[in-house]
Amino acid sequence: MPHKPPTQEELERRKIVGIHGETITDVTSTDFPGHYPGEEHSWDIDAFRRGFSVEFHQNDPYEASFSLIGCDASIANAFRRIMIADIPTLAIETVFINNNTSVIQDEVLSHRLGLIPFKGGHEGLHNFLKWWRKPADESQINNSYYDFNTVSLRLEVKCEHNDAAAPNETDPTKLYKHAHVYARDIEFCPVGRQDRYFSGADAIAPVNSDILIAKLRPGQEISLSMHMHKGVGSDHAKFSPVATASYRLMPVIRIERPILGADAEKFARCFPRGVIALDKVTKEDAAQRGSGYEGHEGEVKAVVADPMRDTVSRECLRHPEFKDKVKLGRRRDHFIYLVESTGQWESDAIFLEAVAHLKKRAQDLEKQVVNMVR
Amino acid sequence: MSREQYQVPTTGSGNTGGGAFSAPAPRDYAGESGGVMYYMCGDCAVRVPLEKGAPIRCQKCGARVLYKERTKRMVQFEAR
Ligand SMILES: [Zn+2]
Repeated sequence: MPHKPPTQEELERRKIVGIHGETITDVTSTDFPGHYPGEEHSWDIDAFRRGFSVEFHQNDPYEASFSLIGCDASIANAFRRIMIADIPTLAIETVFINNNTSVIQDEVLSHRLGLIPFKGGHEGLHNFLKWWRKPADESQINNSYYDFNTVSLRLEVKCEHNDAAAPNETDPTKLYKHAHVYARDIEFCPVGRQDRYFSGADAIAPVNSDILIAKLRPGQEISLSMHMHKGVGSDHAKFSPVATASYRLMPVIRIERPILGADAEKFARCFPRGVIALDKVTKEDAAQRGSGYEGHEGEVKAVVADPMRDTVSRECLRHPEFKDKVKLGRRRDHFIYLVESTGQWESDAIFLEAVAHLKKRAQDLEKQVVNMVR
Repeated sequence: MSREQYQVPTTGSGNTGGGAFSAPAPRDYAGESGGVMYYMCGDCAVRVPLEKGAPIRCQKCGARVLYKERTKRMVQFEAR
């Protein structure tokens, strides 16, 4: 029996993950060789090019949302993991404490300082600054700090009574000078050529100036200097360039049979605002035999307006009046990313960097494999 | 890692990249030495200078409980 090629409808159906009241079906992809008798499905660069597209929904410096359409979960997940763990940023790595009489312990203070995100000139951060490696001989550690691998910071605060405060004042920030230590109190100390890359608006500074580091009372003091180095998120989360980098699959809502009148309004309320719109049943709809609209001209009907906004809560599946009228699902090859930068990179640049990183890794692996079989 | 390990990096350590690195110098406590030790009053938290052999007593409030100040030695930590 000759094999019949799949219809377009069948190809679309294969891409949908089924979401039912209690179960999820068809979770794995089936577009690989040998799954469908008589069909090819081996990976092909031209077929990939034809089916692949990128679509931006939002592109702000610190938040970007975009879709990768027509790619496999393994690739999409690789990008996500690379964004979180392999794109380098600069963070505080060592803290030299001269004095700390605050109530917060040295170790905890150091940890808190490490987690503060910093920004700076992109040219300097991404091209001028290089990795710092701890020298094998630990006695040589002080000869390993250079302007191109270490950034120096200082934090000097001392809390004192404020003589100008009103006699019945109770607010510690008015009663004392420097009662709160904020990220903006950290001072950047440029060394060598760092002046050229990090001056003016490009200076190394906390992204959010009002992060509270510690609280002081009169007589207490924090005096320390810090070294920043480049690092990656796989080493420590403080080096991760993203606050979140995640994806979700595109929701699919299919209304199989008409949902009309008060039911339509209830149906719309089962979804986040904007997902379901209410339209009027037109004359053409009502004229169509077997459509379910016959004799309902002028009534409201539920239509799917923007499935991307759906959270797939499955609320609509709980109500008996919508039984068999709606099918929920997700598109297995449509990934909606949300990338939130911590400030050192532009959000979209993080993704581009992740693509470049994966490419480089693949090329490195290719070289290894070629050497292996030689 | 011992706390004695870190010394302030010195300039001109034969680097090739140019712009040798140096951390800011630690605080200078020389002005406070000279036989006088400072303590913290347990009652009024004032800084009390005491010479050798002087009675252990706060000059301001007369309290007899004095605390040692924190070490002036630099302590190194990893920000992790
Ligand atoms: Zn006293």
